[in-house]
Amino acid sequence: MGFFLPKTNWVLQTFVSTKQNFPAVCRCFTSTTSWRWAESTDPKAFHQEIKIKDDIMTKKKAGKKRFAPKPFSAFVAGSSKMRAMYNTNNAVANDSSSPLNIVSTPDTPLSAKEWEKLKEEYQHFKKFEDVMFDSMVHNHSPVDVAKSLLVAVAKRDGDIEYSYLVKYLTLCVFHKDIGEIYDIYNIMKAKYKSLEASAYSLLIKGLSVSSHWKETLVLLEKVKKVSFHSRQNYGDCIEGALLNQERNLAFELFHEMVAENLIPASATIKLFFDFCQPVKDDHLKNKCIDILYYLRENQIYPDESLMLSVKQWFESIPGENWKGNLTSMNNNSRQCPSCGHLLEDINLSEEEFINVKDKIKKDVIEGTDVFRNTSPQELERFQRFVNEHPPFDVVIDGLNVARTTPLNPSSKTLLDVVVYLAQKYDRLLVLGRRHMLKNSFQWKKRDMDDMQKKADFFFTDNMSKDDPFLLYATFHSGGHCMLVTRDLLRDHRAVLSDNVTRRLFFKWQRGHQMVVSSYVPGKILTFEDALPYDTVVQTDGNTWHIPYDDNLSKRVSYEIPVKWLCLQKK
Amino acid sequence: MHLLNLIRRSAFKLIAPKMTKYGLFLTMPSKINTCGTLRMIYLNKSISKNADENIDLDEWKLVVLSGLQKEAFEKASPEEEPNIAAIKEYIDMSRRLGKAAPENITEEQLERLIEYPSVTSRNKYLAFLASKEMRKNAEKEKKKKQREEREELKKTMENEELVPKSRLFRAIWESSMDVMYNWKAAQAMSFGQPLVFDMDYNDMSEREMQNTVKQMMECEGANRKAVEPFHLYYCNFKEDGPYHKEFLKRYGDAWDNLFVTVTEKSYVELFPRDQIVYLTADSPNVMETFDHNKTYIIGSLVDKTIRKGVSLARAKRLKLATAQLPLERYFHWKTGAKVLTLDQMIMILIALKNTGNWKEALEFVPKRKHEGFVDPSLQQFINRQKNKRASEQNFKKKLLVDELSKKRLWNGLWEE
Repeated sequence: MGFFLPKTNWVLQTFVSTKQNFPAVCRCFTSTTSWRWAESTDPKAFHQEIKIKDDIMTKKKAGKKRFAPKPFSAFVAGSSKMRAMYNTNNAVANDSSSPLNIVSTPDTPLSAKEWEKLKEEYQHFKKFEDVMFDSMVHNHSPVDVAKSLLVAVAKRDGDIEYSYLVKYLTLCVFHKDIGEIYDIYNIMKAKYKSLEASAYSLLIKGLSVSSHWKETLVLLEKVKKVSFHSRQNYGDCIEGALLNQERNLAFELFHEMVAENLIPASATIKLFFDFCQPVKDDHLKNKCIDILYYLRENQIYPDESLMLSVKQWFESIPGENWKGNLTSMNNNSRQCPSCGHLLEDINLSEEEFINVKDKIKKDVIEGTDVFRNTSPQELERFQRFVNEHPPFDVVIDGLNVARTTPLNPSSKTLLDVVVYLAQKYDRLLVLGRRHMLKNSFQWKKRDMDDMQKKADFFFTDNMSKDDPFLLYATFHSGGHCMLVTRDLLRDHRAVLSDNVTRRLFFKWQRGHQMVVSSYVPGKILTFEDALPYDTVVQTDGNTWHIPYDDNLSKRVSYEIPVKWLCLQKK
Repeated sequence: MHLLNLIRRSAFKLIAPKMTKYGLFLTMPSKINTCGTLRMIYLNKSISKNADENIDLDEWKLVVLSGLQKEAFEKASPEEEPNIAAIKEYIDMSRRLGKAAPENITEEQLERLIEYPSVTSRNKYLAFLASKEMRKNAEKEKKKKQREEREELKKTMENEELVPKSRLFRAIWESSMDVMYNWKAAQAMSFGQPLVFDMDYNDMSEREMQNTVKQMMECEGANRKAVEPFHLYYCNFKEDGPYHKEFLKRYGDAWDNLFVTVTEKSYVELFPRDQIVYLTADSPNVMETFDHNKTYIIGSLVDKTIRKGVSLARAKRLKLATAQLPLERYFHWKTGAKVLTLDQMIMILIALKNTGNWKEALEFVPKRKHEGFVDPSLQQFINRQKNKRASEQNFKKKLLVDELSKKRLWNGLWEE
């Protein structure tokens, strides 16, 4: 694909440049090419289609698996995307051609007269210069061309609009033309009292890699006066400081940034590990390790490039002889396959557990208005029910489990699951709604009676929500109790009031949620078990285990990475 | 590649002078697209070398800096708090960049702007102010134009001689319409069916509250103009509460002259419980028909972040009957929440009250939200059958006529 593109471009250019009637041809061709690009350069879409077809083929061949639920692996990175693909059966939509590309930009500087002529040709644009600058930024035109347009504008108007200056600055920053950036900076400083955020960010980005990098700190202060900092601004300043060997300043900036609740970009953290690599003093080493602890506290997972930097950094510590391995964990045991160390347990501490339990009652069940999810009478009935019964081993979301496959009556599916689980666990609880008790096609009275011999039941009102009760019942039963549902419980996590509780809840969920992964009525029933270890940056002094995102799978916020970096001191 | 370019270019340079003689290469250099192999610009440069080499690329800096002296004087004038001045400047710069930001901003708006905790919320507020300003300016312009037109019309009218025309009635002005509406509203106040707005929603943001009150004003206006208006109740209304303040701001003195019952009491105290139906989109019950003996309640609530089940919870607490509009039954729903605005609700209810026809009433559901009605009602079906039959008959008739006329024609021809 890589060599294909320039070739088409080249053919097109030669063809176009031999034509006499330009603008119309250009426009028509730019549009057609961009379409072709969009089609051909989207390898993912291509692969996805094939994949889906393959899946269907294997299914048809297998035959048996026809009634199985769609593949469902709850929290693993990339699974939500897979599910979306499976459900819609669609390839990702192609990027449409950019509107910024409508004007063809010249590739050498033009004189004022020539610009005037060109402007006449594009009369239909309200502001020709605007469109032209946008197009230049989009195509990364050479700085000189943009400069010549500035000259033309300056000659005509005697002044240059702020927006043109900023767009020109964007171009200079892209080409890293530091002399020019500094000149613009001086002009802006002389002309305007203060700028807006985008110009500040561009200046910070441009100047941070130059010898004027100290100016970026001044600019950073100025941004604060009128707007908010972005993590990009801090990242650029840190880069400037590190490039100039001002490590302490860089760490200060980092702490300042964290204090402002900005989450540093992976690339910024990578800079620290890259620039502190010849680790000589302990002070510096501790600071870098503090960053790793920061990642742990905030459940941030490094990306692949950062992971490699961290690995290299550890291996470069003199005298400690660290060894790094890339690995992925076995889902059933806590042991790291590379070094044999036990990973951290996923269970919450007692204090945390009680905290989350209380928050669930307060935020998820009661919320702002008890009547929204349930009613006080029902809540009381539920609490009485839970207190009367000894702790459960498994709590089942009846309505969710029953809908696993549409081809089986709901009560039959639920019965199968209950019978299966009853062999393994002693005490089951099934949560459902009242309407399940009415004999109907989906809910057979006989099945329900059979089930009630094996498990306890609690039915909420038809208008109430059953999920909050589900969560509370599981928590009430204690740390050993498992939860069976295919629901990701994202909405319940979202209503929890603070970030820490949300994180703890997610940790608990990963460790205690069992998911029906495949089901064929009467034949197959398998569960995807909960993870035994916690996915978080962790250490015991002699080893570090760092989960990271690989570049291939796109992870969404409610998923966790599967790849690990295992570091071991020898 | 590069080598090839060089050769081609040099070849072109050789040919170029000849070609230009024949006027073959008189195209403008600017027309050339992005980097290609055959660069005509090179060619042109070689032709008009003198003109092109004069481009001084740093000239713009001199021009800009020379213009600075003028602005330096202007800068000295404003004397404000440094912080506020900086933010004003910031807004001005954003505007210059082409972002949505207002030209003028009041102190109050500035204070609110500073209170917003993030860039996005600030930008949103600025965009809102900008669009408001733009609308205001456009209106001003329009009014100015209208005034000018009116004056011109007057001038032309003056030239003509005014002949008094004889008419049966005096012109009906808006004030006389108003009198009629007020009569009807007064009648509704004594005999009309009650319709309640529940105003016990206090956790709305300022914008939401403004929108709510605006929608309620629309409701009142629509109700006034109905053939048979409802008797509107504003229940759970708090004196000097946020609703009251907003109403006073919008209505002014007219607030005291509304034909509406405003009360601090709850609807549960005013009406028997079994007659009350709380209308909410979250209700499990679908409204079948409009009952003229029931008291319908609409929650006067605008929630931009759709909070599910707020009004349903209220009805549950008071153990009231609830109902939702049969939107799913009648529409192929397309996008958007099934929560309608207050004025749409009242229009639907008025139409239902006066005609009892769901299809007619649900015309007030915004068209963008659905893809037409689900199935043609029986009446429509019959109509279509009728039309079909009629058109068939027409077709037959037409054939007959055609045949006859042809025959006649032929006969005529033969006769001739």
